[in-house]
Amino acid sequence: MSRVWAVAKNSFVSAMRMKTAIVFMLLLIILLPILSITSTGDGTIKGRIQSFISYGLGLTGFLLSILTIIVSCYTLSSDIKHKQIYTVVTKPIRRFELILGKTLGVVLLDTLLLLVFSSIIYALTLQMPRLTKTKGDELVRLNNEFFTARASLKPDIDEQVIETKAQKSYKELQRSGQLNDSRSKQAVMQELKDIARYSMHSAEPGGMVIWEFKNVKPFDSNDNIFVRFKFEASRIPPDKNIYGVWYVGDYRQIKYGQEKMKTPIYAAPRKDVVKTVQEFQVPANAVAADGYLAVVFYNEPMNDSTIIFPQEDGFEVLYRAGNFGLNFVRATLIIFARLVFFAALGVSLSTWLGFPVAVMCSLAVFFTGVINGFIIGSFAYLGENVSLFYKYAVEPMIWLLPKFDQGCNISKYIIDAKLIGTAFFAVTIAGLAVKSAILLVAGFIIFARREIAKVIV
Amino acid sequence: MTENNGQFAIETFSLTKIFADWWGRSRVVAVDNLNLKVRNNQVFGLLGPNGSGKTTILKMLLGLLHPTRGRAVVLGGDGKDPKISAQIGFLPEESYLYSYLNARETLDFYGSLFGLNSRVRKSRIDALLDMVGLAGMANRPIGTFSKGMARRIGLAQALINDPKLLILDEPTSGLDPIGTRQIKDLIVELARRGKTILLSSHLLADAEEVCDRVAILYGGLVQREGSVEELLERKDKTQITTNILTDRAMEQIRRIVEKDGGEFEVKPPMQKLESFFIDIVRQAQQAKRPTSGAMNRLEATDAERAAAMSNVLDKLVAAKIEPSEKTEQAEVETVKIRPDDDILGKLTQEPQQITEPVVREKKPETPELPPQQDGIKKDLLNELVKPKGFTERIKKKDKKTEEKKNE
Ligand SMILES: Nc1ncnc2c1ncn2[C@@H]1O[C@H](COP(=O)(O)OP(=O)(O)O)[C@@H](O)[C@H]1O
Ligand SMILES: [Mg+2]
Repeated sequence: MSRVWAVAKNSFVSAMRMKTAIVFMLLLIILLPILSITSTGDGTIKGRIQSFISYGLGLTGFLLSILTIIVSCYTLSSDIKHKQIYTVVTKPIRRFELILGKTLGVVLLDTLLLLVFSSIIYALTLQMPRLTKTKGDELVRLNNEFFTARASLKPDIDEQVIETKAQKSYKELQRSGQLNDSRSKQAVMQELKDIARYSMHSAEPGGMVIWEFKNVKPFDSNDNIFVRFKFEASRIPPDKNIYGVWYVGDYRQIKYGQEKMKTPIYAAPRKDVVKTVQEFQVPANAVAADGYLAVVFYNEPMNDSTIIFPQEDGFEVLYRAGNFGLNFVRATLIIFARLVFFAALGVSLSTWLGFPVAVMCSLAVFFTGVINGFIIGSFAYLGENVSLFYKYAVEPMIWLLPKFDQGCNISKYIIDAKLIGTAFFAVTIAGLAVKSAILLVAGFIIFARREIAKVIV
Repeated sequence: MTENNGQFAIETFSLTKIFADWWGRSRVVAVDNLNLKVRNNQVFGLLGPNGSGKTTILKMLLGLLHPTRGRAVVLGGDGKDPKISAQIGFLPEESYLYSYLNARETLDFYGSLFGLNSRVRKSRIDALLDMVGLAGMANRPIGTFSKGMARRIGLAQALINDPKLLILDEPTSGLDPIGTRQIKDLIVELARRGKTILLSSHLLADAEEVCDRVAILYGGLVQREGSVEELLERKDKTQITTNILTDRAMEQIRRIVEKDGGEFEVKPPMQKLESFFIDIVRQAQQAKRPTSGAMNRLEATDAERAAAMSNVLDKLVAAKIEPSEKTEQAEVETVKIRPDDDILGKLTQEPQQITEPVVREKKPETPELPPQQDGIKKDLLNELVKPKGFTERIKKKDKKTEEKKNE
């Protein structure tokens, strides 16, 4: 281990004395405070902070990734190219210890830089409301909607339930002889499934829609939970207002007729405009002790209209599940895990590639990470025709690529004050750790077999 | 260490290295069927012209290159095994060091690769820096060192683990005469302490002085191997070495020898390994033994170079000899391996007529075999002949020597 550490220290020192590291550091040190002043967003203080965080974290993540790629590709390949490796591998150090040491050196550099820059961003973010003398309502809003970490609950559509529902209606149709032969079974089933899905999120006059959630863990039961919704109506009244009653709480108490209510059920009669996002709050103690929460919408018969909640953005429950600091730390740790991944990638590639080629490959991986969703989409599309090959060759390769976009866009979580859930966090970190380990093991194997003194021209 | 190998520090069995390019073409036989045996506590010299495979052998022993065929046993095991490499000190051909570390950090780094604790490291580093004469420069980055200074750090690095086996690739290259002397003394001293040393060199005088046993390589093949005395012993001659004798004593000896029917010749003892070495190489060349090294084309190049050099020198010192004459002479002599004695003679004598000390530095201090450069290009030669280019080189060299003096 002392040998790994010696190599790590050496590669860290080399990186620190390399001009690139200094340039990147200076760039960030200059750019971050400037960003904090120049970010405007939508003009509100919240918008300003959001755009600062977005650019600040994005820039830090981007620049440190590039730096990591350069340094990790350089540290081993330069030793090989300039032959300092001759006096290193002939010492009693195993080749995998050398690889590990090199990676660790880069990781040390990342740790230091990320610590410095994420602290700067954090401090500047906290300072921004103070500097602009934000007060009153705006400050409350900022605290509720930005300096927090809210978990979001969205209806989880159970495909199984929908499938059985559709099957049932299909049999019904069969029995009553309403099926005509001109349409295939597949097409009919598809339609029936759509209907089933639709019916789960729609209420006829006097009907109800119910959403149930498990594992809801509000940070503090004195907080509020936020119900956010948007609906459409089959018949829109002239004033566009729809009447309904919302019930939030432990619905099982009603369903199974318990003697005494353990948790309150809140009722909120409302009148809302169709097709616009609405939000109301109820106290968080509506959540049952075991984390169960149900939200029910009752469609007043007087509306005389079927109410439909669109599948995409029709319904969401938000609640405070953590604080800003913790969320920020998690975001930083995920960025760190990505940097570790790139360190492993660069070192692993330079066990058999020269510096320029290794950098090119790493950058390619980085940018595919940025558009990962797009790549997976297009491969999945191609994959329909070459399914076996896709499943066993392409899919594992794509899995090995990192993901930075869509659900994995870390700064988006901070901007939206969305909690980086423990499960998501753990899976992301573990995934990156496994990927890094795979890359390193590949590096060990290649490097152990490599003829070090062989000149590659 | 396994018992049956106990007596040999290094043993190779038909060790062969063939370099092929990416497509497997243009094969270079760098080492051919080498069966090397180096006994414990022996100082073994691998001698040979450039490109004869010395470095390749050492690299294979250390696991930096994989043999194409055969195998090598180092200290009874595999040179790549950490248990074995913990007992080896290695000085590569050039001192490949980290330019951003200073001398102390460098040695500390190598020390920790051996797993030495910081107390041991510190005391050894102090001792080694002192030994190689760089104690005063311990905190200067290696990047600012001259070649010879870096070489000294390289040597210190090879000794930090107090190795049992020392593998030195051209240990004296780039060193000033004092450094060279120190290394030779060091090798003798280490041998006295029971270490085994394998060194490669083309500096014959150096090897002759320190080696117990040498192998002369050409084209990857061992041409001759034996102890230095054994190789240089001539069966048909007897050498009597005494202090300087009076004329009377000499006359008496002559009479005795002539009475016995022998031939008598008096001369001071001379470098012997050198002429022996040249003999071997010439024989190998005459036998058209292939080499991947630089020798084949060197005959012409070498003579041309010598001619060109003296040509420029002539111009520099405004000597009277016509340059064209020189060239002709050189061409006549191309068959010889050794540069024309005349030219060499002039080269070494002329400086004495010159007042400038600059040129005196050009005088070869060791009578080493001149074919040193691998295939010098024609236009480069022409460049050399141009007085301007050469003056610059001389100036540079002068600066360097001045630097060295200042150190
Ligand atoms: N990595 C390599 N690839 C191809 N040829 C090589 C390589 N290393 C050495 N050689 C060739 O092998 C021969 C022996 O080289 P080397 O062992 O370095 O000679 P030297 O005796 O001067 O140390 C030379 O002809 C050289 O060109
Ligand atoms: Mg060599």
